[in-house]
Amino acid sequence: MEKILITLNINGQSCEVMVYPNDTLLEVLRDELDLTGSKESCGEGACGSCTVHMDGKPVRSCLTLALEAQGVTITTVEGLANGDDLSDLQQSFIDHGAVQCGFCTPGMLMSADALLKNNPRPDKKSVRKALAGNICRCTGYTKIVEAVAHTGNPKDHCPDCKPGK
Amino acid sequence: MRLPRFKYLGPETLDQALDLLNTHKDDAKILAGGTDLLVRMKKGLLKPNILISLKALNELSYIKKQDGYIKIGARTPLADIIASDLIQKEARALFQACEKIGAITIQHYRGTIGGNILQDNRCHHYNQSDFHRSGRQACHKDGGKICYAREEADRCNSTCQSDGATALMALGANITLESKGGQRTVDLANFYTTDGIMPFAMESHELLKEIIIPLHGAQSAYQKLAYRSAIDYPIVCAGVLLKHSLKKEIEEARIVVGAMGRSPLFLAQVSSSLKGKKLNDTIAFKKAADASMDSSATFAVHNVGATLDYRCAMVSQMVFQALEQAAKYIKR
Repeated sequence: MEKILITLNINGQSCEVMVYPNDTLLEVLRDELDLTGSKESCGEGACGSCTVHMDGKPVRSCLTLALEAQGVTITTVEGLANGDDLSDLQQSFIDHGAVQCGFCTPGMLMSADALLKNNPRPDKKSVRKALAGNICRCTGYTKIVEAVAHTGNPKDHCPDCKPGK
Repeated sequence: MRLPRFKYLGPETLDQALDLLNTHKDDAKILAGGTDLLVRMKKGLLKPNILISLKALNELSYIKKQDGYIKIGARTPLADIIASDLIQKEARALFQACEKIGAITIQHYRGTIGGNILQDNRCHHYNQSDFHRSGRQACHKDGGKICYAREEADRCNSTCQSDGATALMALGANITLESKGGQRTVDLANFYTTDGIMPFAMESHELLKEIIIPLHGAQSAYQKLAYRSAIDYPIVCAGVLLKHSLKKEIEEARIVVGAMGRSPLFLAQVSSSLKGKKLNDTIAFKKAADASMDSSATFAVHNVGATLDYRCAMVSQMVFQALEQAAKYIKR
């Protein structure tokens, strides 16, 4: 098996990397490009901790071959913040206590970010539906759902909501 | 988990893909979304030498209405089917089935309708990692001589857990298989071998190209029972089609029970028992649901993570709910 040179567009930057055909996008992100935000938990597309965006849509990077990720715009969790400025969604997660061990958090953020781009003020039912493919072992989901639902309405929902930066 | 090594081929057109498939046959597997194939490869259940990817074949991704049929390309992503007004209105069972497949993140780039139909049969004894299976004798599907789901069984009893196939069989769908030599169209109900190891009557040089759903002017519904609202395969599912006359009587019914047997089970006798019944005949629906339970119970084995008693009891519930739903949509 020979390595192939591929070009990936990640978080707005173009990078060239040598990959084997059997390298998944997740492995390349973590091992070759040091973007360790995306996590491998199940490795089989069932847990959502590997979620990244391809052309704005959330995808399982553990089941995507790296060489098939060419020609699309890839966004990872590292691309949500603007330098040191966290996104509203990320800040909402912190404010609402939606992070415990943090392992599911990157995947949750990516799935939630995709939802919020289409629906900036989702109700809790829509949030649960959008995050149905992401599993969390720690939080029991309540705070995560609240954090996502309240991102667009930080003034009047609950004591945790902060009135914006 | 690492994927095993393979050679990757990326044909640009359907003809090129068929050529490659014809050359490599059993040595190669088709890669569409990869949510079934790549997972099985990671678990060491399958190690194809060559993967032929359908990534560039946008010509296989379409939904169109033509001559009284809905035609869907096999590589159409599930998300497109869910978003289609046409499918929601005229093939509702398929819409409901696809909504429940995997999760939103799988339905975009990675889940295709063809892939869902052609997913391999499953069994919680077989679908385990190399490491797990190394601790015991191989089962029939794994190349051995034993079945862990049904004692003393001399054949594989793995289950077809495809939501898409169950709904499509209820809709009376046909599928088109294409190869370098030609093309053939098969009724989905006749596509299954009922063999757990090789569930599909399909040659290694053939490619699933298109799904064709006849427009009956009928209503359909699909019910799925699973542990969680997403990700999980069905423990039991039921797809139902009801064609009615102007007098609100059932002219034709199709009841299909999935996740109970080695293929989706089209219950012809139970279905025809509903002929002539009124759409609001709850008692007839209940009878049909119970009869569905009796018919499908013989096929089930304990291999998808719920007790047999519960699954069988739930067949009746899923069929009943699907019938009620389909009848409700007609009344609208």
